[in-house]
Amino acid sequence: MVALARKTLIYEWRKFLPAALAVAFSGLLLLMMTALMFGIFSSAGVYVSRSGGDIWAGYPGTQTVELGRPIPRDTEVWLQMDPDVVQVEPFQWLDGDWRGPVERGSVSVFISGIEPAPNGLMFSHVLSAAERAMLSEPGAVIVDGADLSKLGLGIGGTAFLNGHRVRIVAAANGLRTLGGVNIVTSIATARTLVGDPAERDKVAYYVARLAPGANPDAVRGRLTPVASAHRFAVWTHDEFAWNAATYWMFETGAGLGFIFLSFVVFLVGVVITSQTLFAAVASSVREYAMLNALGAGIGTLRRVILEQAFWVGAIGIVFGGLVSLTLALLAHGQDVPIAFNYIAAIACGVLVMTIALISGLLAVGAINHLEPANLLR
Amino acid sequence: MTALLAEHITKSYTSGHVETPVLQGMSIALNERELTLVLGPSGSGKSTLLAILSGLLKPDRGHVAALGEDLWKKSRADLEKFRLEHTGFVFQGFNLFPALTALEQVMLPLAYLGLPRHTVRNMALASLEEVGLASRAHLRPIELSGGEKQRIAIARALAKKPQFLFADEPTSALDSVNGKNVIDALHRVARVYGATVVCVSHDTRLAADADRIVHMADGRILSDVQQISASAPSRSKSAEMP
Repeated sequence: MVALARKTLIYEWRKFLPAALAVAFSGLLLLMMTALMFGIFSSAGVYVSRSGGDIWAGYPGTQTVELGRPIPRDTEVWLQMDPDVVQVEPFQWLDGDWRGPVERGSVSVFISGIEPAPNGLMFSHVLSAAERAMLSEPGAVIVDGADLSKLGLGIGGTAFLNGHRVRIVAAANGLRTLGGVNIVTSIATARTLVGDPAERDKVAYYVARLAPGANPDAVRGRLTPVASAHRFAVWTHDEFAWNAATYWMFETGAGLGFIFLSFVVFLVGVVITSQTLFAAVASSVREYAMLNALGAGIGTLRRVILEQAFWVGAIGIVFGGLVSLTLALLAHGQDVPIAFNYIAAIACGVLVMTIALISGLLAVGAINHLEPANLLR
Repeated sequence: MTALLAEHITKSYTSGHVETPVLQGMSIALNERELTLVLGPSGSGKSTLLAILSGLLKPDRGHVAALGEDLWKKSRADLEKFRLEHTGFVFQGFNLFPALTALEQVMLPLAYLGLPRHTVRNMALASLEEVGLASRAHLRPIELSGGEKQRIAIARALAKKPQFLFADEPTSALDSVNGKNVIDALHRVARVYGATVVCVSHDTRLAADADRIVHMADGRILSDVQQISASAPSRSKSAEMP
């Protein structure tokens, strides 16, 4: 009825500011770490995230594109038989050995063989129709502009890829992957680069586009029994991209490191926030003791403190969010690999609120042994 | 009529291995409609007596009966409920929340009684009127003088029309005019609402306005004098039991 928690928070904001800042900066750290994590590891999923298509078919159990193995050729037919599938194209992925200028030696690369047609699905978010058309020329490859220096060549430069002569016809932005240079070429050129002639007719993936409005999960559900009967597996676009990102996070140990670091941030956040909140509550302990003397139960007083902790958390989230957004914009301008994901942002928000509420519970300690008799001196 | 009865109260404080007795088996009966002033030097045990009578401090031995109920047989929650429903406090420090206006300070404890908002507001306003501060209802403690703050604290204590009002050195921080206002307000609570008012002080200026004066020293009652007053029709009986 009398909003003691909120009124005190507003009136004595200077007392609560350190707690709100502690919460805000814990949130900022968590969010930035997450964004960096996703930024770095989303490059593991560029094959999927930078491409159109709604359904991926590959070797059963494949965690990430780089672990693909050849799948039966009839996979394409099984996909086309689904009523919602309107387009299917092959995607070849293989390791490569790049030999450019002599002084560079050999560079280990990944080869992506894609359909060069203008409506091709693979890397449709990165390559223009004109660039795709260039790939129709045998031996033509496109690389990310940032990888040119690694390859020691400019546009128009030639090199030997798996022993075959190739030429860089264009450089694009957004083809970088985790762990190696991504060399994009046509599916026809890629086939010539496969070492084992018996495997040349097979590709590692087929990518399918669905009719507008079709539900990818439903299609995946329909295709799964067909796939398991014919030695391939299907994933939705989002599922496969997520699998790739999480696989690399955990495969490299970075994920565990990230979880550990988040835990440390959480712990530091709780320690600092609870201490500052404790001090703010302790400074009003005589007033709380007075209320207790007048008959307000200790539970009622605890709720006041928890409500304050909640508002401190809410203010911290808003402030931390705004600072994060500003920093994210700055970072984006500097090509820092950060990626925001609303689920991760919500998770950070929940963690930050948990920091505030745990701190509130600890700050309740300031009135746990409230002795209103001490007011009598 | 006896509203509050304390019998054979003993209380000691322990500091390290040293035990200091504060109250030594004292008994006192307090009447409704009376302002009882407990006088005594520092360390005489008067504040401890007030804490025990008001249900804030548990005695080592002895009973306190208020409205026929043994206070110290209640659980903490029941004791809080009893205090919520029946007792008001005025302490030396005003203990007002800096963020709340005078009206909100008075409304706050009333709100915990579960009364409807407009009732709480009206009761609080009436109480502020009672202490002559209705016009200051919208001000925060920082905008009020010491005397006004203490009167807000009194308004807060008497807003719920408690049967018991306990005041601890309520005038110690005030000049004589404000002190007189405060003691008058306490007196009115006894007269008008029939409350049992106990005021602990070492300010002898208050003696003229009290119905009964209890002098304490070393945890015992030295003297217990009923002052003749139109509003105090009956004489109380009290006894010291060492």
